[in-house]
Amino acid sequence: MPNCLVIEDDTETRDYLCSGLRAAGYAVQAEANGESGNRRLQETRWDVVVLDRMLPGQVDGIGILEQMRARGDGTPVLILSALNSVDERVRGLRAGSDDYLTKPFVMSELLARVENLSRRNTWSRDATTLQVADLQLDVRTMRVTRQGATITLQPREFRLLEYLMRHEGQIVTRTMLLEGVWEYHFDPQTNVIDVQISRLRSKIDKDFSPALIHTVRGAGYVLSAAPTYGPSAR
Amino acid sequence: MARPRAKPGAGAGVSLRGSIAFRLAVGYGLLLAASMATLSAIVYFGTVGVFEHSIDSKIMSVEARLADAWTSDGRRGLVREIDAQLHDLIDTDTEVVGVVDAQGHVLAGNLGRWYGDLPPSGELGFGQMQRNGTPVSVRLIATRLDDGSRLVVGRDLIELDAIRSVVERALLVSAAMSIVLAFFGAQIFRSRLEARIGRIRRTTARIAAGELSSRIVVMGNDEFARLGDDINRMLDRIEALMEGVRHVSNSIAHDLRTPLSRVRSRLDRALQVSADPHALVADARLAIEDIDSVISLFDKLLQIAALESGVRAGTFEKLDLAAIAHDMTELYEAAAEEQGVLLRFAGRPTTIRGDRDLLASALASLIDNAIKYGRNGGRVDVDVGMVDGAPVLTVRDYGSGVPVEDMDKITRRFYRVDQSRHLPGNGLGLSIVTAITQLHEGTLALRRADPGFEASMVFPQP
Repeated sequence: MPNCLVIEDDTETRDYLCSGLRAAGYAVQAEANGESGNRRLQETRWDVVVLDRMLPGQVDGIGILEQMRARGDGTPVLILSALNSVDERVRGLRAGSDDYLTKPFVMSELLARVENLSRRNTWSRDATTLQVADLQLDVRTMRVTRQGATITLQPREFRLLEYLMRHEGQIVTRTMLLEGVWEYHFDPQTNVIDVQISRLRSKIDKDFSPALIHTVRGAGYVLSAAPTYGPSAR
Repeated sequence: MARPRAKPGAGAGVSLRGSIAFRLAVGYGLLLAASMATLSAIVYFGTVGVFEHSIDSKIMSVEARLADAWTSDGRRGLVREIDAQLHDLIDTDTEVVGVVDAQGHVLAGNLGRWYGDLPPSGELGFGQMQRNGTPVSVRLIATRLDDGSRLVVGRDLIELDAIRSVVERALLVSAAMSIVLAFFGAQIFRSRLEARIGRIRRTTARIAAGELSSRIVVMGNDEFARLGDDINRMLDRIEALMEGVRHVSNSIAHDLRTPLSRVRSRLDRALQVSADPHALVADARLAIEDIDSVISLFDKLLQIAALESGVRAGTFEKLDLAAIAHDMTELYEAAAEEQGVLLRFAGRPTTIRGDRDLLASALASLIDNAIKYGRNGGRVDVDVGMVDGAPVLTVRDYGSGVPVEDMDKITRRFYRVDQSRHLPGNGLGLSIVTAITQLHEGTLALRRADPGFEASMVFPQP
């Protein structure tokens, strides 16, 4: 069971985070201020940390993060902040955070991102051939096959599939896809990502069975051989 | 609201001391009086003073001559000289010359009876003397001679007194006149100022009372006309802003009310139909979706506020506008195709300083609009290049465009063109694009392209 440390001063948000993360299968501990959070960080090894940007007391979120990175602690950190501005995101990422989410957030988005961070160590970034069930992707030759048949993908479709395969079995949200595949950070508002996914789906799922790309209602998508994502998965 | 003030109008309620016009006028009057006083002093000393001086020097020269006569010829010479002095037909009616012995008896000359003591020997002084039956003031010098008698030389001051009183009367009259003039001038000055200011104050009072469309009547081209112009311009701006705020709050209320009342009725229904857990789940999901749309609305408003207040140059970097346009075109291509729209990008590398994500989201918003509202045109062009030396990013559709009367309103928050109200959206897209463009010190140019609509983000020349 991955363990997760939540450092958040607002009681309601903290409880909401804890119950959401526990329900998703994390062993969660919570701290309400920077000093105790910092102590807790040094006592235990954590798989992932959810850190509020603004904290009461001497050290705020960015301060904690900088200290962590300064002592060589590479634990994945998700910064949570009410400051809805690109500036703040850039500042957070510069300080060494791995991801950034603004309040108010949707739990499914947070869980998808936390899972992404906590799994970072388990999947290899450098693998050059990826396989999910009978779907294979070779990063170097840009070749995709399913059940031995070659599937022709446009470069961006290829990167989209690669991202989904690297996050196999893990929910990825639309904003995560926009960030991971197109490398832009904004809320696309419209259904552009869905259209891209449906294109990809028509190429890798339409003529094959079982379907590998599943829609997770209210959250995003997951690529998985097992249709374990409830009645809403198509 | 400020504390209650005097009613506007011609100075009602403003005390004289409090009136700037009155203070200015009084100040002006005092200045006038001071310059009058200076002038008077000059006139006085230029006439009376000079006259006094010439009397003194005449007395001294006569005294010197007589003293010489005494020294050289003694008493006889002196008396002869005094006679000559009194009969030379020059100033004889004003001259006073004579010799008095130690007991005060007049030995020679035209001295009458005098009152009081003579001034000390060798010094000019004043005395009173009986002359031709009337007492007169006399300016004189009494020099003690070596036999104990005294030589008295002087002049009566009738002429001087006459001149002095004429000058003094003239000065008094003019001082009184200047005070009266200053006072009436102040009143006129004050009433004219207050009439002008009163016009402005009456207008501002009407505005304070809620009559926002009221404006100051501007006449002429003086300072007050310019002030009136400035105030009118300020009022135009305030009125437009208030109109905007009113519009925004109406729209927020409306946009919030719809999803919130939907959420409420769903929850209501969910509580009543307690039987079906599936329905409950479905209702909860829909309720969350509705609440998400409210949150996203607020996020957008906050984003606009942050953009409008933001100094962001810190995260600006050199980037290629065409690369962003290329990426966004690619991102939206599939979505456009689904709507039967051909999305095309043309352009060459164009470098500006900016924020990549903000520019991408602005462009995404413009492309999204073009697809949504210009769908019937079947085509959307995205263009990047230099126009007149300035980097420009243009999105053009070939749809039915925007009605002329809506052109200047579509960048307003929440404004939606009537014919598009059935489409999803909340009327914040162009407001955000405008805010992002302005953050990059650019301008958003919107144009009816016939057919279609064209939006250009024009950036400052590099």
